[in-house]
Amino acid sequence: MRSMLRWATMAAGIVALALSGCGGDDDRATGETGIPDQFAAPTAPPDDARPGGELTVIAADDIDFMDPGATYYQFTYMVTTAGHRTLMAWRPDDTDAPSPDLAEDDPAISDDGLVITFAIREGVRFSPPVDREVTAADVEYAIERGLLPGVANGYIPVYLSDVVGFAAAEAEASDDPTGGAPDIAGITAVDDRTLRIELKRPTSATVIQALSLPISAPVPEEYAREHDAENPSTYGDLVAFTGPYMVANDEGGELTGYTPGREIELVRNPNWDGEASGDFRPAYLDSIRIAEGFDDTASASRRILGGSGQVNGDISPPPTVIRDAAEDSEPGQLVASPSGGNRYITLNTQVPPFDDVDVRRAVFAATDRVALRNTRGGELIGPVASHFIPPEIPGFEEAGGVAGPDLDFVATPEGDPELAAEYMRSAGFESGRCEGDCEISVIGDGSSPSRETTEVFVDTLEQLGFEPQTRHVDYDVMLTRFCNSPEQVPHVCPSIGWLKDFNDPISILQPTFDGGAISDAGNTNLSLLDFPEINDAMAEAALIDDPDERAEAWGGIDTMIVEQAPAIPYTWDNQVNIRSDDVAGVINLFNANWDLAFTSMSG
Amino acid sequence: MARFVVRRLLAALALLVVVSAVVFAIFNLLPAADPAELRAGKRASPEQIEEVRQTYGLDDPVLVRFGRYMAGVFTPFEGGPLNLGTSIFSDNEPVLEIVLDRLPATIFLVAGAVVLWIGIAIPVGVISAVRRRSLLDRATMIATLAFISAPVFWLGLVALYLLADDVGLVSVFPGIGAYNDAEGLLAKAWALVLPWTVLALATAAIYARYVRSEMIDVMGEDYIRTARAKGVPERQVILRHGLRSAITPVVTLLGLDVGLLLAGNAILTESVFNVPGVGREVVDAIGRSDYELIQGIVLFGAFFIIAFNLVVDVLYTYLDPRVRRR
Repeated sequence: MRSMLRWATMAAGIVALALSGCGGDDDRATGETGIPDQFAAPTAPPDDARPGGELTVIAADDIDFMDPGATYYQFTYMVTTAGHRTLMAWRPDDTDAPSPDLAEDDPAISDDGLVITFAIREGVRFSPPVDREVTAADVEYAIERGLLPGVANGYIPVYLSDVVGFAAAEAEASDDPTGGAPDIAGITAVDDRTLRIELKRPTSATVIQALSLPISAPVPEEYAREHDAENPSTYGDLVAFTGPYMVANDEGGELTGYTPGREIELVRNPNWDGEASGDFRPAYLDSIRIAEGFDDTASASRRILGGSGQVNGDISPPPTVIRDAAEDSEPGQLVASPSGGNRYITLNTQVPPFDDVDVRRAVFAATDRVALRNTRGGELIGPVASHFIPPEIPGFEEAGGVAGPDLDFVATPEGDPELAAEYMRSAGFESGRCEGDCEISVIGDGSSPSRETTEVFVDTLEQLGFEPQTRHVDYDVMLTRFCNSPEQVPHVCPSIGWLKDFNDPISILQPTFDGGAISDAGNTNLSLLDFPEINDAMAEAALIDDPDERAEAWGGIDTMIVEQAPAIPYTWDNQVNIRSDDVAGVINLFNANWDLAFTSMSG
Repeated sequence: MARFVVRRLLAALALLVVVSAVVFAIFNLLPAADPAELRAGKRASPEQIEEVRQTYGLDDPVLVRFGRYMAGVFTPFEGGPLNLGTSIFSDNEPVLEIVLDRLPATIFLVAGAVVLWIGIAIPVGVISAVRRRSLLDRATMIATLAFISAPVFWLGLVALYLLADDVGLVSVFPGIGAYNDAEGLLAKAWALVLPWTVLALATAAIYARYVRSEMIDVMGEDYIRTARAKGVPERQVILRHGLRSAITPVVTLLGLDVGLLLAGNAILTESVFNVPGVGREVVDAIGRSDYELIQGIVLFGAFFIIAFNLVVDVLYTYLDPRVRRR
């Protein structure tokens, strides 16, 4: 949830690029993302990148959890990817699929698609004080401990639920939260170098992508066991690392380099030997300091742009700073990349009047999506969305690219009132406007710019004859008390967005539009869309291994969803990042943030 | 005197209990975000959310949680006394530890600012009162009005953009986050020059006007005229007879203000300059809906306000014997 929240805040920083006049020319903007070439994100270090130096990452808030099994937050991934090796990992320019990291190669998948086998690299060692080689058992333990209530990993119950014995292990952990990590029968360390994962259904494509997240960072059981016996686990106080960097610690492993809310000090892991153990990360920097507490993003951004050896962490520069930086800063100090997220407005498909697809299509047709997008800043906040899979995620082009599916109510981004009236007539409203009981509940995020987005959409509803009853509340309250709760969900939730978990369309569409995802608490299908054909298509597409077929299938599902108009997508966000002039920054497209293990000092 | 202090202490304790109950009610009875759902993450199943609820005892009835909370804070049971709970969003760190960790920075910030604002406000107030309607009086009163009108965060940003060594036009004083980087008392003091100045200027302006007003009243009293008639030097009349009387209500104000600032009211200054104090922590806690932490900080703040009121009450008995007699 924090990832959604933080991402929502960060993405707001893009806004001023358009205002600055630097993004206004279509011919300078790169196609699907709307990002002009001069702001394109670098995804490789310069040829003359040199080792050494200290980098400071300027951040407003703290990471969510130091424990790789618990973290579920974009900013924390920036740290975990520098400190941990996971089975699969994302090179800066990877967009379609992750690369093997702790795994020696891409995993072997059995012919029936039910068994995934990872060969674990030799020579990867834990940081002091563990000081031993990583084995397959460490990865098995890392995944299994994620089920402990004291660790409470937020995504494996979704993406690894097809692993044999997963449900039983979940129940075991729930019954005995402090009794140690439960055994997932389908995950077996065959020997020190082989990890075997058995599935009930051939969902290997999803499982492999999910194992690129920090949950597959190895955890030494003998070191973590006593901390995992506590609920909540205290392993986060003395995490063992396998990547090029580690949080400074003492002889007992206690993390002395982490002061929550203030600072994280990353130093080189003495047990990391780079290419010798097959790590693709060059790790140029000597040390990295994450300085937290920079609440005022304007002054923090100016400090980064005018200072030395600094990059942004979880903050995005505000519009005025972006405008100035676009005009005055050196090339490359300001870069943007697609966030892998979307923004949309949900319509409750379970209650009148939005249980009628024609009414939903009327609202879609009437909505000025350009105006909605502009409330968040304009052209370079991202393109006007016409469907749900964001650019650079497989399935985007198959769903129609920027133009979107060939549907009349999608065709006019500025809105088509006449077509909307036709759809209203099809729904039985002779006047082309709502008649009778037309009260609509709308509950949105009260902070800017979400409030402005809501106001624009409320105007659209009024033009169609609806009587919106609007409430602006705190973002977390909106989600947890209203929009995420099927019993409380209003007719319209206007402040919704979804950020991918990894670069597979399943992580965008399944949680948000699969009828099976509707749950009593923490519901993510906010439209309550439960359309059997779509549910079935998703279940089938989840089993496809071939990348092209998979993209085709999910692109088709995206179109099926848009046809039902359960929500109105209006933008796919871009993410802006800034750096000091003497930093040779590299952006990791997966995380849309600086890749600390590829960034170097250039001054 | 001892009875007076004991009576006040008991009243303060009772007040703390009431404040604790109110704070608990605010965060547990009024509509707020669900911490279990937030902690469980965006893809959490209802079962996972329930487990988080159980882990942190959020599934217990409100009265049970209230009893546990109060017992933890005020009695030796439930990990108490002074068990303010744990922050479920900060690696489960105990709230008390978080507050105690942030407190030194806030105390240092407030202490320096108090010295500065008293050092500015009293001379300015006295001189303005003594030289009433003079050019100096008018100039200082206009200046104080300006500082009172300017929001602290705006003053802070202006100070940064003018004088900070990282983002300022002229590189003079340490800028944002300098306190975190500084090692040793002197370096930390140097890092706080701008925050002290900003916090002090905004408050000194109020105090200067207050001292001026009190001094004008006092200097018109009969005993001042008598002192002058007896030939007491004017300097002594002002400082010994005038200021001593005028300062008494200022002490009340000071006690309240220091209590409030230690309670987190230096929030804007701490945020602008990235001073890792209690105020900034509460901003972060609000940002992530960390109610246990917010609750703990508010309670701690209430403690400071009550404690400083107590100190002021006791101090008053020395400054004004009539209070003791009552």
